[in-house]
Amino acid sequence: MSRTRALSPHARSVLSVLLHAGGQWSHGYDLVQRAGVKSGTLYPLLIRLEAQGYLEAEWQPPIEAGRPPRHAYRLTASGVRLAHANPPGPKVVATGGRREAMT
Amino acid sequence: MSAGLRRRMVDLGCRALQAMLPRSLQQWGWAIRCEAANIADDGKALRFTLESLCAMMPRAIAFHLLHHFSEGSPMMTRFDAILCRPRLIGMLCASGSVAIGLAYMAIAGAPSRYLMVNLVALALGMVMVAMFARTASTGTRSTGGAIAAMAAALLATTFFGAAADGATRWVHVAGLAVQPSLVLVPLMLVAFSTTVRSWIATTGVVVTALAMAVQPDRAMAGMLVLALSVLAMMRRDRQVVVALAASIIGLGVTLMRADALPAVPYVDQILYSSFDVHPVVGLAVLGGSALLLVPAIVGARYDRDHRAIYAVFATVWFAAILASALGNYPTPIVGYGGSAILGYALSLFALPKRAGDATSTASPPRGRPEAAPSDGELLVALA
Repeated sequence: MSRTRALSPHARSVLSVLLHAGGQWSHGYDLVQRAGVKSGTLYPLLIRLEAQGYLEAEWQPPIEAGRPPRHAYRLTASGVRLAHANPPGPKVVATGGRREAMT
Repeated sequence: MSAGLRRRMVDLGCRALQAMLPRSLQQWGWAIRCEAANIADDGKALRFTLESLCAMMPRAIAFHLLHHFSEGSPMMTRFDAILCRPRLIGMLCASGSVAIGLAYMAIAGAPSRYLMVNLVALALGMVMVAMFARTASTGTRSTGGAIAAMAAALLATTFFGAAADGATRWVHVAGLAVQPSLVLVPLMLVAFSTTVRSWIATTGVVVTALAMAVQPDRAMAGMLVLALSVLAMMRRDRQVVVALAASIIGLGVTLMRADALPAVPYVDQILYSSFDVHPVVGLAVLGGSALLLVPAIVGARYDRDHRAIYAVFATVWFAAILASALGNYPTPIVGYGGSAILGYALSLFALPKRAGDATSTASPPRGRPEAAPSDGELLVALA
């Protein structure tokens, strides 16, 4: 459960988005768009966070008929603490769905 | 690229990822697949899938390698058993390379007939290798006669084959222009490296060098020189030196003669033109070409007694790739053309059936099973 290395700016960004979602579930593509990360960055990160107990995941039935179910994610209590302890860095911040450079 | 094709590539990419992911991560494979299916925009769905694939696939491969090499699981047994079968590795690599070539041609807008021809050639090659799989390996004295027969066929092509722009290299079979040299020369060279060399075999190679000079075909002449040079360095004897000298003369003749064949779309120069389609496509085509060398690299690693054979095999296909990069010569396997596919499959037949067979005293790879499963079982397991 303990964090063994510093979180990357992308990880901080994703944690920030999940934190701002509160208790709501988020989906992979939403996280890609809102955190401004690539899916190739997101999923390895989600796998690690879930394995370390910072993230919970569940399958949700489709909202529309004929669509596949979706895998959804939200932070656990320890994940919320981790997100608070690791805010987005000074150069990368998640704001309204895109990553912007701070000036 | 059409929307339907993008969706098919999304589905194919997700399935490939799922096939590779270990059981513990299977739900993540499903997560990516379902998420991609929920993205309405086809282009964004494809990008989402490809990015996931690129990031997750190396991890999946690393997981299998590290986990199974360290624990000796059944998967390790299958993996090691595959390593011991250069022909099977070659068939898998040929399939991968053809698949990449088909994807390239589909994306680049090649006629669907081209795709079908390559697929049929691959199927035909696989059938031939499977048919020959039960026969004894090359390396017997009868191989000399086979080499001589191949040389006679190449010489006949030179004088009676179809000509274009001053070159006579082809024969028409069922409406298709087949290049016999691309089918037979790789097999001949690999077989020549395996056989108890006789003057019949050597004469066959010398006649082939002459045929390549007369056709003329710089690519094949260069292939002869490179492969025989490697063989001479590893196992020098009089026959190899004579064959090498003839091949050098043959290459010299081809260099002095004009070679004015224009580049043919989807056949020649695609190592470059594929990058015009998309950089990822270009890299995939390069990767598909590199796959052709894998059986030789793996074989040389695990079967030290037959390193000369693997070196010649690698040199043959490296020469073909090099020729396609330097001139207007067919890009093997990833480009349109069944001759190279058939040639590759046939040259696999000249590799040892199993690494370390017969006289080999090399240590088998760690974990090699006492009674290894058959090629068929391995293909089923891989599927």
